[in-house]
Amino acid sequence: MQRRTLLKASLAAAGALSLPLGMRHAFAAEPFTFYGLKSMSGAFASYGKFADMGSRLAVEQYPQLLGRPLNYKVIDTEGNAGKAVRKVQEAIAQDGARFFQGCTLSSSALAVAKEVDKAGGVFMTPVGADEVTGKDCNKATFRWSVPTYGAVRETLVPLIKRLPEAKRWYTITPQYVFGEALLDGTKQVLKEHGLEHVGNSYHSLQEQEFSGYLTNAIAAKPDVLVLLNFGSQSSNTLRQAVNFGIKERMKVLLVWSAGLDQFQELGSDILEGVYLGAQYWHQVDTPLNRELVKITKAKYGINPTYPLAADYISTKVMLDTIAATGSFDGPTVAKAMQGLSYEGPTGPESIRAGDHQVIKDYYLLIGKPADQMSDKDDLAQVVSSGQSFAPVQDTGCVLG
Amino acid sequence: MLELYLFQILNGLGLGMIYFLIAVGLTIIFGLLNFVNFAHGAFFLLGAYICYTAVSLTGSFWLSLLLAPLLVAALAWVIERLLIQRIYHLPHMFQILVTLGIALIIQEASVMIWGPVGKSVAVPQLLRGVLVIGDFVYPYYRLFLIVFSALVGFGLWLLLERTRFGALVRAGSESTETVSLLGTNIFRLFSMTFALGAGLAGVAGVLFAPLRGAQPFVGPEILGVAFVVVVIGGMGSFSGALVGGLLVGVVQSLMTTIWPQGASLMIYGAMAVVILLRPYGLFGRA
Repeated sequence: MQRRTLLKASLAAAGALSLPLGMRHAFAAEPFTFYGLKSMSGAFASYGKFADMGSRLAVEQYPQLLGRPLNYKVIDTEGNAGKAVRKVQEAIAQDGARFFQGCTLSSSALAVAKEVDKAGGVFMTPVGADEVTGKDCNKATFRWSVPTYGAVRETLVPLIKRLPEAKRWYTITPQYVFGEALLDGTKQVLKEHGLEHVGNSYHSLQEQEFSGYLTNAIAAKPDVLVLLNFGSQSSNTLRQAVNFGIKERMKVLLVWSAGLDQFQELGSDILEGVYLGAQYWHQVDTPLNRELVKITKAKYGINPTYPLAADYISTKVMLDTIAATGSFDGPTVAKAMQGLSYEGPTGPESIRAGDHQVIKDYYLLIGKPADQMSDKDDLAQVVSSGQSFAPVQDTGCVLG
Repeated sequence: MLELYLFQILNGLGLGMIYFLIAVGLTIIFGLLNFVNFAHGAFFLLGAYICYTAVSLTGSFWLSLLLAPLLVAALAWVIERLLIQRIYHLPHMFQILVTLGIALIIQEASVMIWGPVGKSVAVPQLLRGVLVIGDFVYPYYRLFLIVFSALVGFGLWLLLERTRFGALVRAGSESTETVSLLGTNIFRLFSMTFALGAGLAGVAGVLFAPLRGAQPFVGPEILGVAFVVVVIGGMGSFSGALVGGLLVGVVQSLMTTIWPQGASLMIYGAMAVVILLRPYGLFGRA
């Protein structure tokens, strides 16, 4: 290389490096990173895998966001609240992260919500705990899933109408905040309709053997057995209930199912005739859901599950709002999301300004017999759908 | 109400026989090889998954009951020859670390092969339905589990107490050198014993699959139950595993009526009481 050429190159490089930050963006825009909080390992990996697929679908619709390349980064929460919050703190402190979506466990979401709020970011989650949009709500946090109040009302009330002869109801409940909230709601609905709550069996969060609880239920001779547990506990209760011939003796309602992936695991033998509450169902005929089913099948070859749909729409809403506001500023985006109406997988959805709760449908499904299934995922059909939400003043949420 | 308690005791005895089946493989390996096997739960889950695959491919639960334990035992035999045999002489802490590693590898491999979502296995057609006893019901499949576990237990007792193989293994656990000097390949015996213990975990996994499905993360829970049963009964005691299993089953079942939210907790309470009164377990030796 000639001395003159070397000098020219050195001057150009030094000049570029000394440019102000904003001007450097003009040459090569710095990527914007959106963070997905997913339980990719540990006991909740099955949920995290689908949730991650949903977020990726939404991110792919934005190759660039406000002129910057969009980068999607997964934080593995490992299904552990402590690890989730520590990793989020690191991302905020070291990478300047501000936009987060996800979390499988309510405990993780509640802890993360506080950190994101402190950092002036935005966080949208599908978790179950009512506190997220209740007493622990904050300016930065939004929730897609229907709270326990709506889940109970949108399953029990239609079922009561469908089964007028069912007078005696028995519940099996996990003893922690989520289970207690569902149990309180169930008792309230039964009382309002003049029906008898003939008994309840509490169980611990570690329980997986339900034969004793089912024996208690059989002894109470109810017309309907209401399961208020979730995930593997509800799967094992259902399996063992079928094994005990419960379906031949009474109707069974699972108020809060995990949707398609849980149904696939259980199969139609177990699900047939069982009533199932669901946040999302892939067969619901709405414009956005048709699109979601299409792109999910095209990319992954499967139908969307609840975690996939929940994390897809939450990620999409956040990215759409960033694009609409033209800002990467957390408080600006959070403010724009308050009261926002949009087309969601359950139909028209909106974010309630008073507590950041998404107002959307909850479904009551019934398990189909194998000979009526049109494909392997046609495991249930929608019996009813609707929206029930406690007024903001009853949720305990006060947004600062 | 008395009828309900009596039925819960009956249900607990059935549950206890299932727990015995889960724990007996662990206690055999500890009692005869003085080896702490933290991969026991992983062998259980492997049995459940092989059962799922075999039932999916052939439709026969009975074939899976034959096939899955054999495959699990074969894998355990290979692992024992390659790895376990080198650490028999090391302190228990090393054995725990190595077998915990094996358990994690089996668990993650199961996730890779069968996916993170659990799988269901239907109760075989022959055993569907329930026995009606007054106001209560008891599934035929659980009755079958009680009888089958009892038969497995009796067969094991015969094998270990009444055969040359059992005598050699028991002698080897007392003095490896003496048995070797008498011309017996003691390490082959140990391999067979380890495979037998793992195979029994595989049997339990198959039998549990229609009740609980095949789940990738079930290993630690099963290992916990097995250890509670073994600690109550006495580490390494065959009779202890039976009595411990029954005790845990009855306590758990009764507590679901008396204090439901504490049913799981009370099996650990029962273990604590036994440790306080008999530190080496009901049938354990110092």
